[in-house]
Amino acid sequence: MRGVAGPAMIDAASREVWLHRALFVAIALGLLFWRLLPLPTPMMSDCGESAAWCRFTVWLMRMPGPDLMLCVIFAWMMRRPDYLPVILIAAVVLLEDMILMRPPGLWTAIVLIASEFVRVRVALTRELNFGVEWLLVAGLMLAMLVIYRLAFAMVMVPQAGFGFAMLQVVWSVIFYPLVVFLSRYVLDLHKPAMGEIDAYGRRM
Amino acid sequence: MARNRIDPEDFHRPLRRVLVAVLVLLMLGLFFLWRIDSPRVERFRSALVDRFVPSFSWAMAPVTWAAGVVDDYQSYSRLYEQNQQLREELRQMKAWKEAALQLEQKNARLLDLNHVRLDPMLTHVTGVVLADSGSPFRQSVLLNVGARDGIRDGWATMDGIGLVGRISGVGQQTSRVILLTDSNSRVPVTVQPSGQRSIMSGDNSDLPPLDFLEDLDEVRPGDRVVTSGDGGMFPAGLLVGSVVLGTDKRLRVSLAADYQRLEFLRVLRSHDLTPITDAGALIAQPPLQGPPKPPTTPEPASEPEGGTNG
Repeated sequence: MRGVAGPAMIDAASREVWLHRALFVAIALGLLFWRLLPLPTPMMSDCGESAAWCRFTVWLMRMPGPDLMLCVIFAWMMRRPDYLPVILIAAVVLLEDMILMRPPGLWTAIVLIASEFVRVRVALTRELNFGVEWLLVAGLMLAMLVIYRLAFAMVMVPQAGFGFAMLQVVWSVIFYPLVVFLSRYVLDLHKPAMGEIDAYGRRM
Repeated sequence: MARNRIDPEDFHRPLRRVLVAVLVLLMLGLFFLWRIDSPRVERFRSALVDRFVPSFSWAMAPVTWAAGVVDDYQSYSRLYEQNQQLREELRQMKAWKEAALQLEQKNARLLDLNHVRLDPMLTHVTGVVLADSGSPFRQSVLLNVGARDGIRDGWATMDGIGLVGRISGVGQQTSRVILLTDSNSRVPVTVQPSGQRSIMSGDNSDLPPLDFLEDLDEVRPGDRVVTSGDGGMFPAGLLVGSVVLGTDKRLRVSLAADYQRLEFLRVLRSHDLTPITDAGALIAQPPLQGPPKPPTTPEPASEPEGGTNG
């Protein structure tokens, strides 16, 4: 279906693009919704004495989890950058900034720069095998964290400890292969194959 | 052949770069606007959350119910001890109930006797927790009461037992409570019974530490911590928690409020405490005024002096 060009197929191709964009917005809202849920957070005082396993799980649940939004953006950007126009990324991340009580605009700017960095180099990332891609994403996430914290330090806004914030990057890097796997096998989001053409009939 | 055609991509690329540059500058501008004029941006944020989050509440209900079921299931494993504990508490509660009934009757009689009207400062507005802050770096909850219920920025919030946090950010229908464990929270407290004053500052952990204690020997784990009312921030005398010794040998506060089960919160209507700026007139005479205005009818000049000397 993908290899054939023609007026009817162009409609189908662009419909697929818009379908994936709507899917991205739905995933973003879903992740936001999940984070806003007022679930009971466990506290250390609830564990009895000498309950090391209980204390470990409480500590684990109070630590930050992966930033799945960022993983999704990178995974999709490496494979099909045309599904994520700049304005869509900016709108979604800005909404997240506002709702999650971050200083609005800073993380959005950093995510925009990082995603453009990947988008411009799509010819490179298309050739990478998964291991190198994973390393690249890990390096990017770490650089983003460092710039984010530097910006906080420069304008003298109080922030959480570095180890605490680093945990979020570690979890995101660990969850990145899972996000890629899910995108590939559930959403069928793969790098364009040889000879595949896009909505205008050009080779991708 | 393909090279001779003008690729639309050739126009798209520089256009997109300009768009990205403009967007990044806009976002950085927003960030600096927030840094410079934070209240305005925070008002916008409150209004946005106000419109956006309550529409989720219908979807959150089944998930929170399921989470509650899981929580209850975990408590089944400790059924027997809980049963014993509950029996013991029930016995104590019965005794308290008797005492409370008697006090209530006595109170009603005395109030009736004096035709007393309680100060509106002691009233509260009860709200339900809608959502968390969503981020492990910000400890806050969203309440379903807002400006239309009369909530104002800065009011203290308690659950049934102790202080929970402070209102920071009010929308029309929702308001945000910054919890005491958030890293931005600073509350002036007094440690009973020594009466030491301190600042309880949150640091994102369960047990916020006590800073600026004068005499560390006077304070021991187990002491009660209440708000001191310093700086006109909070009403004085609200229960906050009790002192514990943290694993890092710092004195911390174990909060009395049940942060696990924040469901119904009371927002206390605390009107601004008036600061005292002048000496009391009973102790010292007011400073001498200039001569009073001459009256329209001629009167002896000694009369106003006679008033102050008398």
